[in-house]
Amino acid sequence: MKFLNFIDEIIARVETVLVIILLSLMVIVGFVQVLLRNLFQTGLLWADPLLRHAVLWIAFIGASIATYEDRHINIDILTRLLSPKLKRLVSILTNAFALVVCIILFKASVDFIKMEFEYPTEVFRGVKNWMLEIIIPIGFGLMSLRFLFRILKIIFIKNIL
Amino acid sequence: MPNLVLIILFVLFALFRTPLFAVISAIAILSFLSIQTDLSAVIIEMVRLANTSTLIAIPLFTFAGYILAESNTPKRLINLTQALLGWLPGGLAIVVLVSCAIFTAFTGASGITIVAIGGLVFPALIKGNYTEKFSLGLVTTSGSLGLLFPPSLPLILYGLVAQVDIDKLFIAGIIPGILLVLILSIYSVAKNYKIRTQIQKFSFSNLWRATLDAIWEIPLPFIIIGGIYSGIFTVIEASAITAVYVLIVEFFIYKDLSIKKDLFKIMKESMVLVGAILIILASALGLTSYLIDEQVPMKIFDFIQKYISSKYIFLFLLNLFLLIVGMLMDIFSAIIVVVPIITPIALKFGVDPVHLGIIFLTNLEIGYLTPPVGLNLFISSFRFEKPIIKIYSATLPFILMLFIALLLITYIPDISLFLLKLKAS
Repeated sequence: MKFLNFIDEIIARVETVLVIILLSLMVIVGFVQVLLRNLFQTGLLWADPLLRHAVLWIAFIGASIATYEDRHINIDILTRLLSPKLKRLVSILTNAFALVVCIILFKASVDFIKMEFEYPTEVFRGVKNWMLEIIIPIGFGLMSLRFLFRILKIIFIKNIL
Repeated sequence: MPNLVLIILFVLFALFRTPLFAVISAIAILSFLSIQTDLSAVIIEMVRLANTSTLIAIPLFTFAGYILAESNTPKRLINLTQALLGWLPGGLAIVVLVSCAIFTAFTGASGITIVAIGGLVFPALIKGNYTEKFSLGLVTTSGSLGLLFPPSLPLILYGLVAQVDIDKLFIAGIIPGILLVLILSIYSVAKNYKIRTQIQKFSFSNLWRATLDAIWEIPLPFIIIGGIYSGIFTVIEASAITAVYVLIVEFFIYKDLSIKKDLFKIMKESMVLVGAILIILASALGLTSYLIDEQVPMKIFDFIQKYISSKYIFLFLLNLFLLIVGMLMDIFSAIIVVVPIITPIALKFGVDPVHLGIIFLTNLEIGYLTPPVGLNLFISSFRFEKPIIKIYSATLPFILMLFIALLLITYIPDISLFLLKLKAS
């Protein structure tokens, strides 16, 4: 269990650093773009695709951190009524559900990236489409891992819920 | 046609706290399998997250909102509205309504307002001789007030999902937003007129001091609304300007927050919320494209039309439906899931898409407060350590007031569309 937590935490740190870099980049590039357009009537051609893909990356990394911290948006009305024992069981089932979905999406996105890899197009400045889209399988892979970890934790640690 | 039993099972999972994105994805996967489509189609739809420029505004505005929530802005905002309106009978209640509305516009409606502003003003209300019941109802209701004012996140999200011009929504929301604040203010004054509530005397020196205090924050709404209204910059540009402006003001001018201690934490926290919202949007994109391809909204329309032909009855039923949705789901998922299905139907009934957006958000705003499961009720019960039943009864009269506003907004389209028409002419 300790080892699991250790890996989980390391991944979370890397994700946090990445998300901070991406957001900083968005703030800076977005603002420079505003200045260029309004003061000099010009702009950076690569700024818009860069910003758009930063959103994609933030979406998937943010979602992975949300999985780590158990902060996904959900409807929490019926679980309030359950006894602690039943709550554990339901929690294992729902996390298993999410795990299966994420594995299917992981597989689908790997297939998708393979396709994109065979027919690459340049998005901006030598960056190919698949390099930007690779975050999708990475994101679903990490989320699958996290849902699996959570199930293990609920089974093996007593007072987690 | 995907297996209906499985879909019902999936929805049941959703009710037991399964992450919504997983449930929506599962239904999307099932749908695509039922028409023998390769699952990479789901992923192709998800990539659309990276092809929509307007989405850029979401992380930037959310980041700015989180900075404002963590700094001393709530305090300065309350002081300023207090100096401005505190002399009115029931003034403090109006102060709460106005400052909450402005604050929610910037932070999105995620319960932050109740914690940040409600926590500050609740003791002041009690001290000012307002009853506990009234005060609880007021702070709970104010928690989602202001959703209709730019640059609120739900407005942007609605525009994105319904493919309506966000600039237009920003303008359309202003008068209905003011109407909500006004109706609640009138109720508050009427309710507390006889009770001797503490009233602060109006003083220019006080107002001057509060204005000077907040001098760097006061321009912000005017920059955003003015800039977009006059066409100087787009919503995306406004979001970049807001993020940089707020960052500089709170970290370097007021020095409320420190780069070392707070900045990275705020960045991460805000992006977790963005990730949680966008992953739902990503999974819904696949499901939506399936529903549109299969012409599901049109089939629902044909079905409804057999029983209802009047636009007004349709709008009434829509209100009921949305209130229930707003009770069950948070506002972001509600918009992402429901809007793509409802919009085409409403268009067929001749409802203006901008007007529809305002109806939508007003309903969801009330849904936040509707017992038994409205989210604000729980946040309030948790924050003020009061039993949930007490919160229910305290909020009820406020909900009734909001219903009146909702009916006005629904049946008088010009409340939403007047400013747009004015701008066009």
